[in-house]
Amino acid sequence: MNRASRKIWDTLTSLSLTIVCLAALMVLVVACTLAQVRLGTVGAVALYMRSWFYWMDLGSFRIPIFPAGATVGLVLVVNLVAAQVRRLKLTWSKAGIWIVHAGLILLFAGEFVTAGYQTDAQLAIEQGQTANSIEVPREMELAIVDASDPAVDDVYGVPERALARGGTIPIPGTPLSVRVREYHRNAQILRGMTGASPVTQGAGAGLVVQPLPPVTSDEQQDLSAAVVDVMAGGASLGTWLATNGLQQPQPFQAAGRSWTLALRPRRVYLPYTLTLKKFSHDVYPGTDIPKNFSSLVRLVNPTTGEDRDVLIYMNQPLRYDGKAFYQASFGKGDTLSILQVVANPGWLIPYISCVLVTLGLLVHFAISLRRGVRRAGAAQEKPEQRAQEASA
Amino acid sequence: MRHRMTMRALALTCALAGISACDRDEVTHFRVAKAPAATPAMPAGMDAAADVAPPGRPPGGGLRWTLPKGWSETQGGSMRYASFKIPVEGTVDASVVVLPGPAGGELANVNRWRGQIGLEPLDEAALAAARKTVATKAGPLKVYDFASGGASGKRLVAGLTEIEGNTWFVKLTGDAGAVGAARGDFMKLLGSLRVDESR
Repeated sequence: MNRASRKIWDTLTSLSLTIVCLAALMVLVVACTLAQVRLGTVGAVALYMRSWFYWMDLGSFRIPIFPAGATVGLVLVVNLVAAQVRRLKLTWSKAGIWIVHAGLILLFAGEFVTAGYQTDAQLAIEQGQTANSIEVPREMELAIVDASDPAVDDVYGVPERALARGGTIPIPGTPLSVRVREYHRNAQILRGMTGASPVTQGAGAGLVVQPLPPVTSDEQQDLSAAVVDVMAGGASLGTWLATNGLQQPQPFQAAGRSWTLALRPRRVYLPYTLTLKKFSHDVYPGTDIPKNFSSLVRLVNPTTGEDRDVLIYMNQPLRYDGKAFYQASFGKGDTLSILQVVANPGWLIPYISCVLVTLGLLVHFAISLRRGVRRAGAAQEKPEQRAQEASA
Repeated sequence: MRHRMTMRALALTCALAGISACDRDEVTHFRVAKAPAATPAMPAGMDAAADVAPPGRPPGGGLRWTLPKGWSETQGGSMRYASFKIPVEGTVDASVVVLPGPAGGELANVNRWRGQIGLEPLDEAALAAARKTVATKAGPLKVYDFASGGASGKRLVAGLTEIEGNTWFVKLTGDAGAVGAARGDFMKLLGSLRVDESR
């Protein structure tokens, strides 16, 4: 190992780097907490924790001014792994420390899994209603539905990232493609001057779209808008305005089939259904103070033959099919239940990490205790030996 | 050797991140049964005005009000500007929704509301006759009160006004008896409307 490599290796394995990373995490946590006031929880976490760097705008330039959570977490993992490999010997006496380190590394790895794979969706369902899909409220999609079949719909979803990238997007398995003229995460829709609107078809004909900065508060929602040309066999059928402000999909005919087009929160269809049998909003007697919210749902899965009732209430989600359905909100005079649906393949990792760290500390404590008891025993034996030798 | 292991771990992390990013770029396809009830319900209040959903807090002035005694604001879903819990017996729902621009126009919205409680649409002349105006600090509010008849029928009281290019809808709807019981307080709430630049 040459001198430069040794220096890098020393830095990577140093305790100083651990301290710097932990200090940086403390700064990030404070900054992120304060930023939630103006950015909301999701915005602040994305900016400070789920990014590689915190950026500052300098006119047309952006420069990274502080490592964000992803960078600090990754450096900390590398630091922990490297320090463990370098310093700790693979012996039984160090077993506790090995387990603690493994637990910590797993904890950081779990956060990367959560950041990369967790999806937060919502299921709003009225009493008596049956739902077979959930919606991801912070991601939009352009839904193009082949509604020709009287029994089934073929639903094609163009994701928001593809819309934002623009260009022509073919719809696989159909003769259709969409050419994205404009996409705005948040916008104002106005009636345009005559001839100013590119929109020629559907409910948005004559309207123009004015971009707005995306909303940041948790309680707000963007009015997203896409202006798209629908193409069939290479020929344009016209230009549509799709927005989540329009509740009804816009119908059109193409290639001898009936289609609809809508911009909506990304929808994920489930291979099972949930029926809300009853929503309960209990209050403490004589007050309006909530005591409990619960949803009694019927879960029917034709592929497994399941048909059972499940009670979802605060902190007692339904965990099913890799998703957790939490009681989140309600409305419509207590007849509508809103469930938060979280799919996180790494949800068990923090629990396993905590168990490992606890176990590691206990093992290390037991080993140290045993060593201490032996030393104390040896220390007692020595004076007795000397006394025996003296008397002999 | 140890360096190589660290680099492999880094490469694996980057690859996992890359795969997760790619998944969100592809056009998805689902074949689903035409189930009328399969669509997730929009959060409460989206029947209110309509075909257009609110854009969240509008830029500029928001709307403020004074809650009548016993009323409370409830969290009714992110699509509403506000919802209210009303201390009356029976099914009743009160909401505030804000939409950009004219939101389809007054006549279209009023006729949609009438349709929701089983009434025939009005023409412009009948609309003007049904309209009452309530003076508020947020400006004149156009108020409509329709009932579909009978004690078991439905009733709707709604006010609308335009502020800085947005149309605001404040609506009370439900069983005729319950709406009738809450109407007095609802009119007080309408009378207390004012513009709040801080929201």
